[in-house]
Amino acid sequence: MSAPPSGPRDTLDLLRSETQVREGPLVTELEGVTVNPGEQRITADEFLLVGRSGFSCHYRKGHGVELGGVRPEHAGELALYLVGSVHAAVACINGLMPIHASAVAAQGKVVAFTAPSGGGKSTVVTGLGDLGLPLYCDDTLLLDLGAADCIHTMPGHKRVKLWPEALALTGREQLELVSPEYPKYYVTPTAGDVDEPLPLGALVFLAEGPEPAWRRLSAGEGIAALADDHYTREMFDRVNPHSRAERFALHARIAAQVPMFEFVRPKTVERFRETCAFLAERIAAISAA
Amino acid sequence: MTTPIRKLPEAFVETAIDDEIVVMSMASGDFFSIRGTARDVWLKIDGVRDRAALNAALAEDYGDEVDAGEVAEFLDALGAAGLTEG
Repeated sequence: MSAPPSGPRDTLDLLRSETQVREGPLVTELEGVTVNPGEQRITADEFLLVGRSGFSCHYRKGHGVELGGVRPEHAGELALYLVGSVHAAVACINGLMPIHASAVAAQGKVVAFTAPSGGGKSTVVTGLGDLGLPLYCDDTLLLDLGAADCIHTMPGHKRVKLWPEALALTGREQLELVSPEYPKYYVTPTAGDVDEPLPLGALVFLAEGPEPAWRRLSAGEGIAALADDHYTREMFDRVNPHSRAERFALHARIAAQVPMFEFVRPKTVERFRETCAFLAERIAAISAA
Repeated sequence: MTTPIRKLPEAFVETAIDDEIVVMSMASGDFFSIRGTARDVWLKIDGVRDRAALNAALAEDYGDEVDAGEVAEFLDALGAAGLTEG
């Protein structure tokens, strides 16, 4: 039995080891429960996802991910699951907490942007990439809560996924389609990416409004805003059952250790560059503080 | 009114961050952000003081600056949320 991770770099090594994939049998049942195509099931130490096309991704703690029944035509769908649900499930089972956020790195810390789906997380990090801030993750940010005095984060995947309207907004060239069922397009971050664990420096909640605006949230606002119904949070809750009071304590810890902000901006092509520059200035200011 | 006001610890959880106290109702999940004078009112609720004693204690700290009506409103809100009784 291996020793538990002692620091964020060990955690990242563990995550990479545990997300290694290999061929295995087709699995459609977990703990006696049938998992149908398009469904998934998670327990304290196991995760099973059956793709819409019928193949399986089965993770067992300490054993990595086995793919069953995968054919070449499943490549797009499989890639999406591996960077999404499977990655998040492995993280949850190994003690990490996912939050629904895209992030950039700035001055050795992570600045994460969160919003509901379609709220512009990927668009914002793409725009900031054009201003020199490297990508840290897209859509899911993994928090390592193992250290009492700091919240560390794990770097995510190397590309951003954008909806067609976000492509128009950012003026970026699309690469391949993510999948026909999830018609986003991959783009490559202009400023590259970061591949090491970093402390979480700020959490920014995105909102839409007529003019760019930036304000610090109070602790209460931050704690309330951390309530999240993203599917990765459901995974975390299933693996780590907790009471309402425990959840409050968790969110209070994050609010106490990480400054939170609200960023309001118009979502128009004409003002996209301006709003990104506005945001980059605020990030520079909080990073320097 | 001479009834002491007391917190109902089983009805909420709280945390202090900087100069703010955040209270969550266990029943509803609603949050209360308590700052400024309201924070001092919350901290002075000890299960012994009634409304008059709370106002007197606040007057010691703030003099005439405290609006008794606002304090009463805040105490009513705490009671209505099930966080205190009395």
